[in-house]
Formats: sequence, C-alpha cells, structure tokens
Amino acid sequence: MKGTGLSNWLASAAMALALAVASPALATDGVLDRGIGSEWSSLDPHVNFDAAAGWIQSDAYEGLVNFDGEGKVIPGAAESWEVSEDGKTYTFRLREGLKWSNGDPLVAQQFVDGILRTLNPETASEKGYYFYSVIQIKGAEALANGETTDPATLGVTAPDDRTVVVEMETPAPHILDIMGSFQVAPLHGPSYAEAGSAVFIDPAKVVGNGAYVIKEVVPQSHVLLEANPNYWDAANVSIKQVKYHVTEDVVTELKRFQAGEIDITYDIPVNQIDQLKADMPDEVIIGPSTEVTYYTFNLTKPELQNIDVRRALSLAIDRELLQEKIVKGGAIPSYSYAGGFDPTYQGPTIPEASMTQADRNAKAQELMAAAGFGPDNPLKLNIVTTVAEDRIRLAQGISLMWKQTLGVEASVESLERKAWLDSFYAGTWDVFADNLVGDFAGAETFLAYMRPSADAGYNWDKPEFDAQMDVAASKADRAERNVELAKAEQILLDDVLFAPIAIEPFRRLVSKKVKGYAVSVAGYNNSQFLSLE
Amino acid sequence: MIRFVVKRLWNGALTLAALVTLTFFVMRLAPGGPFSKNRKLSPEVIANIEATYHLDEPLWMQFGRFVWGLLRLDLGPSTRFRDYSVGDIIASGLPYSLTIGFWAVIVATTVGIALGVAGALRRNGFTDYAAGTIGVIGIAIPIFVIGPVMQAVFALKLSWVPVGGWNDGWRSLILPVIVLSLPNIAYISRLTRTSMIETMRENYVRTARAKGIGEWRTIWRHTLKGTLLPVIAYLGPATAAIITGSILIETIFALPGIGRHFVDAALNRDYPLVMGITLLYGGLLILFNIATDLVRAWLDPRLRHDG
Repeated sequence: MKGTGLSNWLASAAMALALAVASPALATDGVLDRGIGSEWSSLDPHVNFDAAAGWIQSDAYEGLVNFDGEGKVIPGAAESWEVSEDGKTYTFRLREGLKWSNGDPLVAQQFVDGILRTLNPETASEKGYYFYSVIQIKGAEALANGETTDPATLGVTAPDDRTVVVEMETPAPHILDIMGSFQVAPLHGPSYAEAGSAVFIDPAKVVGNGAYVIKEVVPQSHVLLEANPNYWDAANVSIKQVKYHVTEDVVTELKRFQAGEIDITYDIPVNQIDQLKADMPDEVIIGPSTEVTYYTFNLTKPELQNIDVRRALSLAIDRELLQEKIVKGGAIPSYSYAGGFDPTYQGPTIPEASMTQADRNAKAQELMAAAGFGPDNPLKLNIVTTVAEDRIRLAQGISLMWKQTLGVEASVESLERKAWLDSFYAGTWDVFADNLVGDFAGAETFLAYMRPSADAGYNWDKPEFDAQMDVAASKADRAERNVELAKAEQILLDDVLFAPIAIEPFRRLVSKKVKGYAVSVAGYNNSQFLSLE
Repeated sequence: MIRFVVKRLWNGALTLAALVTLTFFVMRLAPGGPFSKNRKLSPEVIANIEATYHLDEPLWMQFGRFVWGLLRLDLGPSTRFRDYSVGDIIASGLPYSLTIGFWAVIVATTVGIALGVAGALRRNGFTDYAAGTIGVIGIAIPIFVIGPVMQAVFALKLSWVPVGGWNDGWRSLILPVIVLSLPNIAYISRLTRTSMIETMRENYVRTARAKGIGEWRTIWRHTLKGTLLPVIAYLGPATAAIITGSILIETIFALPGIGRHFVDAALNRDYPLVMGITLLYGGLLILFNIATDLVRAWLDPRLRHDG
C-alpha cells in the first residue's frame, strides 16, 4: 500500500494539482483529435490486438505495405513486390534510404525480426496466427508453438538490406492485406535490446518508422503523436500532431465532438443517429466494417438437428425491418456469411434472399408445421447474446419475429462479453448471437474461421467444406480463388448452420475541417492521408 | 491512545486480508478468462500465454504467488493493459482521482457546513429553504443526469469549460469537482443543520449564552465542535469513496483516474488489476475509518475510552 498517511495523500494531491495547473492547455490548432473508444490494450506493435489501438500503430509504424485513405493496399516501406509463379513466394523490395525516427537506417532484417518477435512464445502475442493460419508462412507454426527457436527455420528472410522474402506453404493472394504495420511492424533491435518493451511505450525511448512518432502517453487519457521528420514521405504529411483520446463513453464523446474537442469520433450513440443525420448530414459517416453478425444454431439440440427447423428460423427473421426499425444502428442486412463488402467476391446468398419477407414467412410456417411444431407444441429456445444495448435489441427483435411468425418461444439471455465467449464453448445455448471481426476485408477470413469444420463449438463436421477450402487454398489467382471460396460458402449456407443477419457498420462523426476521410472497410484511416482545413 | 490505534490497525489488516482472499477466489468463479477471444488460437499459443501469466497453475498456487508478490509490494502485470504492471496503472491513475477527490472533499465540506450552519441559525428562513432545496437536488438527482446537463450548459452552450478530458489544466477540473461534491454538499449540509439544531439545545451551549458570550463566539467555540461530530463520522468513508475515484464522474468527464479501471478490470477478467484496486479501495476505506475515529475521539473526550 502506497500513500498510507494523510500527509502523503495531501502531498500527491497537491503535486498532481500542480502538474495539472502547470501544464498549459495544448494549442488545438493543427492538432487532429481522434477518439479510440476504450484504452489501448498495448502500444507494443507485436502484441496489440485491438483495432482502435491499431490506428495509433498505423501512424507510428509502417509495414511493408500501407493502406491509402480508402483502405486500399499501396506500397509502404516496400516500394514494390514480386510474386513467384506458384504464388507461394513474395519478394518485397524496400525503398532506398529508409530511416527510423532516431535516424538509424532501417534494414530488411528488422522486418524479419519483427515477425520473429511476434511468433516468439516469450512475447505472449496473440497475433502469431496471422503467419501460420491466415497465411501459412513456412516454419511459423513451429516457432509459435515453441517446437523450435531457430530463427533460420522461418520462411521470412532478408537476403540483403533492401529485400524481404516471404515463403509460404500454400499460395495466399491476401498476403498483402496482412503486410501492413498491424501485423509486420519492424523491430529496432538495438533500442529493444537496451530498453525492452519500453521502446514501444516510453516516449523518451520510442523508436518507430511510421509517419508519426509517439510523443506523450497518458493511460486512460490519450496518446500524442508528432510527425516523424525521418519518415520517407514526411514532406506529404500534412497534419503535424495527432492526439488519440480514450473516449470510453459514447455520449461524452459526442459532446466533445460538438464542443470541438474531438475531430473524428470512435462511434455514434445509436439512439441519436437519426437526429445527427438530420442535424449534420455531412459529418455522419456510416459504412460497412469487417464485422458480421449471425445467429448460430446448436446442432446438439435434437429439435435443431432438423435442417427444416433451422431454415424456418432463418427465414422468419425480417432482416430489413430489424435494422431499420428495431436496432437502428446502421448495420447492413445480410443474406450471406462472407460476402457483402468485398467487391471482388461474388458469393452465394441464402436461396430465399430474393423472395419477399411475406413469402419467406409463409415458407417458414410450412416448414415448421411439417416438422411437427405448432401452437400446441411450440419450439422453445434460448438465445445467448452480449449485454451491448444494440445486441440485446437485436435478440429481442428476432425473438419477437419467431414468436409472431412461428409461435416459437425464445428467451433472451444476455451475458457480459467474457461470459458470452465462454458459454459458446460450453454449449449452454440453443441459439448463439455470434459475431466475427475479419482479419482483412475479404471473404476468406470468415470462411477460414469455420475450418476445420469439426472444430469445437459449432459441432459441424463437414469434410466437403474442408476439401473445398483446400481447393480454394491451392489457387494463387485471386479471382479463381474467390470462385472456389464461393463454393465453400455455398456448402456452409446450404447446411443452415446459422442464420446470417447483418454486416456491422462503423460509425463516425468526422468534423468538416478534416479533409480526406473516406469509408475504409478494412478500417484503416491513417492520419498521414488526412489534412485539416 | 496508541493501544487504540494499534488495535484498530490490526483489525483493519485482518479485514483487508479477508477481503482480498475472498475477492481472489470469488472472481475466479465468473466464467471466461482474461484471454477469452473469439479467435481460435492454437492450444499451444493459449497454453503459452497462460503460462506467462501463471494462469495454468492451481488456484492455491496462484494465490500464494499473489500473497508473495504483495509482501514484496509487487501486484503483478495487468492482463488487460499489457504494457503496464498493476502498480504502474494505480500510480498513473491515482493522482488524477486524488486531485479531483481532494477538491471535491474541500468544496463539499466548506459549502456543506456553511449551508448547514446558516440553515440552523436562520431556521425556516430563506437561507434554510435555499440550502434545503440544494440538498434535495443534490441527493435526488443522480450524477449521470446532473453531469451531462452541466456539460450541455457550461461546456457546449457557454464554452466556459471543456466537456471532458484532462487537457485544459484546472479548467478540466471545474465540472467534475462540482458534480462530485454536489451530493456530498447536500448530505453534509443536512447533517450539519440537524446536528447544529440539536447542539444549540445542549446545556453547555445555553450556559455559554447565559454567560453573555457573543453569538459568533458561541458558535465558533462551543456549538461547532459538537455539531461536527456526525459530519466527521460521515466524512471518513465518504472521503475514501470520493478520492478513490468515481466511475461515473470519470466516465462522464472522460478523466484518466482509477475509478473506471475497477469495472473495466472486472469485465476483462484482469485478475491482478482487480486485486490491486480492491486492495487500494479496501485499504483506504479502513484507513479513513480509523482516521475518522481518531478525529472524533480528539473532539469528543467521551469516545476516547471506548477503545
């Protein structure tokens, strides 16, 4: 116990007050103020797993590739790259004269070191799976599992100071989506050896290679970044200071936006969207994110083993009405699992997507009756969801639709997030309000999640699906691969393992003085591509 | 007196020990763990992360590790905020909570006592009704209503102070301090008023008056001391609660204090942080209670021998 005495307490209070009074209000001119929701869980680029903290990371570090204002892949630290004939080897060519923020030269091996650190069990990072699961880099899994510690076994090498070679077990055209700073931030060895993890957190010790450098870190308050003069494209970085504020409370964040304290918010209070759209139409930006919501059926429950029952439940959900009148959070109703936001992917939808809701309801009633359920013998279910307000409303809406259309008695059980996750594997649900955030803006990230199909939780054992995913994984060409992925999604949807519900939105208020902010499905809106009026 | 203090401290330590032991085991009953994610990590990676944080050990061993750390003043690493230890987090958040709490206690006691005394002296007069009204408002309207209303008026409409954050020095403090002190002003003024009215009826006060001592001198020398006893009894635990940070205030005004961590840590199953903050809250509460008893004993000789 620190500060046990009254005098100690007074002393620290007085000191803190002195600090508060002494620090002059930072000039708001030229500073971009961005909300990030909850506090970052880590500023260590090889450990951080939060999307919002990823924005700070994208400003402070640059990967082999970067993402432009609209989230499209553009050259980053690498000015170009080549793909081998079989699609398994990517050779990245770094720009000439790249430097760290402290002026040290940035060399190819430091990208290899970054990946090695992420995979190293001692780092206890959850991001290693990007390298052995999302794409399969040679040797990555063995390193992550601690089967070997030999860095030479990794399929990422630096034959010279400007070349990074990535060798994979199978072709993966989506590799570029995970070559940004969120996954492959380089590691400045000398400062890390000296200061350890402080090199990512302590502004006095931070060394980065992004457009900005971390200048100030106040937990639960903010992270201040300043333009990095040693960044290769520093001349084109318009905003010189960026401040990421912790904005845990969405209502306070809105007020801070209205008062001009925040320029780009993290979210918008759901119940005020309509009003804000009317009041400030140009400042409300709502677009699709890589998060999908779907209601998973428990295949171990005898009643739900009948595919017609599952199909009826899926059909009886009026997805449009749900989002427009009940949840009203800006989500996009969805009839597929993996498609919808990736324009290169033409995936399947549930076959009844083209029917009217009235026809869908009629068909659902028929299927339900045929399965032996009716007013005298109603199907009883429990829906397990999280406690977030819009999730509860969604579950209640669906429960109501099932009741009205099918006479199903569905109770809604809302659990806080960790308990909700736990209950999934415990199987203590009939219908699970599932959601998944993709690793990149592509269909494959979602389909790969269902693989192997026999994995715990879903209790879905479908060798055809796994085989089809293997076929897709063998294709190096993105278009060909998407065709095969669509077939896999068809197998998934045909089994009505779950009812697709919606693509979740991102919601932001962006001040009129911020220029260059565009909808980015992948969620990247680097400050370097923005400017202030 | 020393025996009294030692005895109270010893009892406090026992209470604290019981509190942390109970918290340690009860929080593990909640489903889910710090690294539950809806990403399927390979079992090896999960095992490795759990081993890093000793979550793979039997519970009694983890408890032993916690106690051993505690003896060395090491509360362990946070699992939610991977960059920081629990000690770092408390050290970073506490000064903010202390600053706001310190000023809120000052404002609440001075304004509260002044209003209470004024009300008692001019019973049923304008001041009394005004103080009574403020009291009712302060107690009846919750912080989560008053806070946003004040933000709307003083920050959005008048732009006198910022809506939230801690970026404008003392100006950032004004609203949170006012909002945090309001319910306490209300409570303290009611306590003071009632107590003052009672004290004024006491024989020793009447005697003082009868001796012809002036009105203010009577109040200052004789009445106030007796009046403040219940206020001080209230202030002890209230101060502990105020300075350890109010989660509502910190959330509404986006302040980087310690209060928000408590709920956040529990929701994220950050076991070490939950333990650290429980210890801090429990310890402060016990200490302030002891301090309160000491001050009361000093003010009222009758209490000194209760031990």
